[in-house]
Amino acid sequence: MGPLSRDVWAQRLGAFRASPSAFMAGPEAEDLGRDLLSDLRSEKLSEQTKVSLLALSLEYPAQLWPDASAAEVAATSLLDTLVLLPPRPSALRRPLLLAATTALAVGGALGPTSGASCRLLPLLLGLAAGSDLGRGFVPASEQRPLQATACECLRELESCKPGLLGGSLGLLRGLLGQEGPVQPLSLLLSLALRNTLVLQSRAGAGLGALLTARVSPTGGGPWDWTLVEEGDGRLQPQAPSWPAAEAGEGARSLTAREHSPEEARELRAAVAQLLDTSYLLTPVAQAQLLWLLGWALRGLQGQPPALFKPQLVRLLGTAQLALLHAVLALKAAFGEALFTAQDETLLLRRLTLAAQHPALPPSTHLFYLHCLLSFPENCPLGPEGEEAAPLLLGPQLCRGLLPSLLHEPMALLARLHLLCLLCAEDEEEEEKGQLPSPGHYLEELLAGLWQRAALEGGPRALATLCFQASYLVARCLAGQPTVLTPLIHGLAQLYRARPMLAPHFVDLLDQVDPELREPLKVVLRQEVVSRPGRDEALCWHLQMLARVADGDAQSATLNFLRAVAAHCTSWDLQQGLLQVCRALLRAGVGGGLVDLLQVLARQLEDPDGRDHARLYYILLAHLAGPKLGVALGPSLATPALASSLVAENQGFVAALMVQEAPALIRLSMGSHVVKGPLPVLQLLPEALEPIYSLELRFHVEGQLYAPLEAVHVPCLCPGRPARPLLLPLQPRRPAPAQLDVHALYTTSTGLTCHVHLPPLFVNFADLFLPFPQPPEGTGLGFFEELWDSCLPEGAESRVWCPLGPQGLEGLVSRHLEPFVVMAQPPTSYYVAIHLPPDSKLLLRLEAALADGVPVALRTDDWAVLPLVGDYLRGLAAAV
Amino acid sequence: MAQRAVWLISHEPGTPLRGTVRFSRRYPTVEKRARVFNGASYVPIPEDGPFLKALLFELRLLDDDKDFVESRDSCSRINKTSIYGLLVGGEELWPVVAFLKNDMIYACVPLVEQTLSPHPPLISVSGVSQGFELLFGIQDFLYSGQKNDNELNTKLSQLPDLLLQACPFGTVLDANLQNSLDNTNFVSVTRPQKQPAWKPGTYKGKPQVSISITEKVKSMQYDKQGVADTWQVVGTVTCKCDLEGIMPNVTISLSLPTNGSPLQDILVHPCVTSLDSAILTSSSIDAMDDSAFSGPYKFPFTPPLESFNLCYYTSQVPVPPILGFYQMKEEEVQLRITVNLKLHESVKNNFEFCEAHIPFFNRGPITHLEYKTSFGQLEVFREKSLLIWIIGQKFPKSMEISLSGTVTFGAKRHEKQPFDPICVGETAYLKLHFRILDYTLTGCYADQHSVQVFASGKPKISAYRKLISSDYYIWNSKAPAPVTYGSLLL
Repeated sequence: MGPLSRDVWAQRLGAFRASPSAFMAGPEAEDLGRDLLSDLRSEKLSEQTKVSLLALSLEYPAQLWPDASAAEVAATSLLDTLVLLPPRPSALRRPLLLAATTALAVGGALGPTSGASCRLLPLLLGLAAGSDLGRGFVPASEQRPLQATACECLRELESCKPGLLGGSLGLLRGLLGQEGPVQPLSLLLSLALRNTLVLQSRAGAGLGALLTARVSPTGGGPWDWTLVEEGDGRLQPQAPSWPAAEAGEGARSLTAREHSPEEARELRAAVAQLLDTSYLLTPVAQAQLLWLLGWALRGLQGQPPALFKPQLVRLLGTAQLALLHAVLALKAAFGEALFTAQDETLLLRRLTLAAQHPALPPSTHLFYLHCLLSFPENCPLGPEGEEAAPLLLGPQLCRGLLPSLLHEPMALLARLHLLCLLCAEDEEEEEKGQLPSPGHYLEELLAGLWQRAALEGGPRALATLCFQASYLVARCLAGQPTVLTPLIHGLAQLYRARPMLAPHFVDLLDQVDPELREPLKVVLRQEVVSRPGRDEALCWHLQMLARVADGDAQSATLNFLRAVAAHCTSWDLQQGLLQVCRALLRAGVGGGLVDLLQVLARQLEDPDGRDHARLYYILLAHLAGPKLGVALGPSLATPALASSLVAENQGFVAALMVQEAPALIRLSMGSHVVKGPLPVLQLLPEALEPIYSLELRFHVEGQLYAPLEAVHVPCLCPGRPARPLLLPLQPRRPAPAQLDVHALYTTSTGLTCHVHLPPLFVNFADLFLPFPQPPEGTGLGFFEELWDSCLPEGAESRVWCPLGPQGLEGLVSRHLEPFVVMAQPPTSYYVAIHLPPDSKLLLRLEAALADGVPVALRTDDWAVLPLVGDYLRGLAAAV
Repeated sequence: MAQRAVWLISHEPGTPLRGTVRFSRRYPTVEKRARVFNGASYVPIPEDGPFLKALLFELRLLDDDKDFVESRDSCSRINKTSIYGLLVGGEELWPVVAFLKNDMIYACVPLVEQTLSPHPPLISVSGVSQGFELLFGIQDFLYSGQKNDNELNTKLSQLPDLLLQACPFGTVLDANLQNSLDNTNFVSVTRPQKQPAWKPGTYKGKPQVSISITEKVKSMQYDKQGVADTWQVVGTVTCKCDLEGIMPNVTISLSLPTNGSPLQDILVHPCVTSLDSAILTSSSIDAMDDSAFSGPYKFPFTPPLESFNLCYYTSQVPVPPILGFYQMKEEEVQLRITVNLKLHESVKNNFEFCEAHIPFFNRGPITHLEYKTSFGQLEVFREKSLLIWIIGQKFPKSMEISLSGTVTFGAKRHEKQPFDPICVGETAYLKLHFRILDYTLTGCYADQHSVQVFASGKPKISAYRKLISSDYYIWNSKAPAPVTYGSLLL
């Protein structure tokens, strides 16, 4: 396909920019990257169109060339295009360099094995060094701008691969000292220096050599891929956020390699060189330089922060946001080492005045105000990470920073926060100077805000602001009754004036701490229930009451509801009314509510409302208090389908129905109980979370045993040992079996859960019961009697029972002790076992050899013979 | 320090989307770093459409605030800086630096070089101030000398190329976009070494230095017991230095007459090379005393090519230039008003213009007016419920003028009449607008002879001064008025 025309490209680029994802999903997506690269060399397109193509590749390389190999191909093609440009000035050289750099960095293709990287890097360094690249590659007029651009490209590559330029430090220093453009070289050198300092503490490379070595840019070898690898290709924060830096980098400064005096001197000289010419940089670039160098030198031995001092006075005088911010970063990095107490005071004062200077824009004021409350103090007191007024910032300094009703919302809230912090301190210190009390001022300000929010027809933003302010005050001054009392009073008045703000009140109640919430609820409830009757604001009152109604003042609330029920003629009012009923149900209000619900179930006009009331009535009549609370608790179900009842049902379903749940309990078998007329299993339950009313149900496969009773446990807690549960078995045949186990329990959140547990296995030996012990001395006769009774119906057999190291005596005492009727230890044991329901098993173990004992056995139930054989053969293995 | 993306959005109330993205630029290399640094808390930069919607919602510019919306109106969603978290696709994009100015929203997302949960304190994120500087720079470029929409569109169309110069990879190189524009123009000049990055070329031509001092005076007057009137002067010194050479040095001294009011809160341009500590420490935060530094205020600097603000200052003059009172009383169906204004004798009685605007909020249109003035004319804007008292160029000899009258209003029609949340009931103000040329209230002036220029050729030096009113309010003394904490300091 031939090159696309300008218009086609304009249209295509427009479509792409409108929504890159939509475009990439379309049919043209695949060709875009390829067409772009090929059309860059087309002679039919103007330079301007080509620049716009390159601009696209600068912004969306990941979409155009999504993987490393595509990025490599693209970068190669871009470099080819660059080389092929005719030797006259062109607007394409800069963007081509930027685009090749971007493609490699974003595509992840940058590396020592990438052909494009190996072409781009020397080219960039050559350009940055102002070398003659031959063949009129760079027209004289473009030399300077391209030199700067090459520096920028290198800086970006160094940002993406920290350590890359570690080998070029000396070269860059040399260039900076000579004729090179100051800003690009300064920024590049400071970044490379910073990264080298961080990585070198791990790599152990000699800094001094790096700073002085002049590597020839064309000689190959300024690329420090080893240093890159030392850093594991990990990105280095260029200006780390300081709490993180302090936590994470403390380790670095400790392990940092110590520099020799020469190295330290060389480093100091390099930093001084950068700082001395920093006034030639634009303000934003100066700020970048200070962030980089400040954090690079922090904690390095032999690098006095005083190097920065000459810059500070100049910087403190400016109004430039980036510069003052950089000074704060230096303050955070060096603290007292760079800022004496007087310096700190001065900085704080400059910041305070900048936060209110009429010549600066509002967003700058707000940022400075934030900086004040997060000021990196030399001697901080409060908890870290929380906004607080610095110690030195007293009421005198703050007076110009306090809020007034005339401020914009954000400024008002930011300043209000400061005022609250002052009030909190004022309370602590009780120091009354000539200044008006901040507390009193706060009260007046809030009054003004409430008044404004109460204005009929006022915008919602004013109401929101007022509630945000109230919330802020409540949060900062929660413990102060002198603040909370007027706050509650003022809010109640606001509600009286404008009940349509009910959603804001509900939200406020949800957000604040109980110190304010509980008394505010009481006052607002009174405010609502004291005004029964027809009212335009009834829907708001009901919404409010649904939030504030609880077990207190039941009769007043019910009276109110009875009084307004007749006015609730529309669907939404009825729903509002029922919401209040629901809240009362949850709070466990019984008596009067039953009557009210019955009335509503009959009287409400809307069938949905009637159904609802009836449902509540039924729930109230049938469910115990706690269960009711859970059933009506907040539901996560998506609200409002066709009928609110359906929606609400989704909430109940969870609460009233049994949930299939992952197993929160484990059941294991304890030791065998051989007492009583029936075999009894001992079960050890274990819970992973507190669970209540546990019921365990068992089912025997194949009806081998009579149906088993369920077992009940009132409560199980993790970590607290539970009593073993006893499960009596009633075998219909003496056979092992598998028990299917189901558990039903209630969680602490009130949900009833059902879970199918792994099956339990009842072994043959679990069924063994002893015969009643014969009187002393009659053992043999008793055994012989049983032995003889087995035949002729029964069966007789001999089984070889292997013995372990414990010998016959050990085996018997471990497994058969309860059943031994007669014994002559350690040689002869007569064992009689009752197998429920009514079988017997008799064993004679005599004349043991070293590795086993022959067992003569008789039983009246031939069906157990194989089981006995397995059992005896397995005994030695069963420890 | 880098930015992940920049947007320029025009706010268009009344249109379906309420706004249009006029310009956007993404920085994929920075985005790649963000993904690594932010880890699990990384949220990608959204496309323009979803970003526009989320930003307008967050800035409350969608004008559909009829209903309470928790994600916007909840009392706990408190924003105290122009830095927002935007909900995009269920995730929070943070930090978004954004502000609205002249119906244009400026926004960018700085890179945060760590995890975003929990949010690190903004003060520790270097990209925030860099982002602000970039946005301010774009704003200055778009609106400096811009007169109409065509010019704005031309400048908007230059933005992609300029940002390619000023911020090629997301790290801002120069927030002054005019420099970038000049850079492309000066491209053929081979610059010698040590050329400041903020000075794209050198000036060729007749040397001249122009200094203009503009003072704005604002005031809040209450005429009330227990509430102090406040006023403040804010000065801006603007310079344009057309001087040859790479780094010409200039020193400008600002002087005060013997009874002049000391300059305080001085903020200087970054090109100022050194600053006297007395200038640095003189501040309005401290109580004034006679020992306050009163100049001359020396500012040595190396000027940039363009016109720039050498410094800003504030000052506390002993009296407001015009002292007045305003009394308004509701009498059955009408309002009775009385205004009295007095020009202080020390003030130059030669105005370019002087007017008192008397607005009436939250009422219907003016239907009837009876008045008497001792001086000047009264204009009535009935539909806007506004009176403008045109005082003219001079106060009379007595220096004191008055206006009294009664105003009647028609029925309130909601949409048209001005709403104000503060001026409710009898709370009301009048606002003074005036301008005096060749005069400063502090007395501050730039002495032409004290301007030192170290450059070839003797420059022509010109100096200008003017005083303008700004936020000059006189509140109805018969009703409550919003006060600042400062007014309670008596």
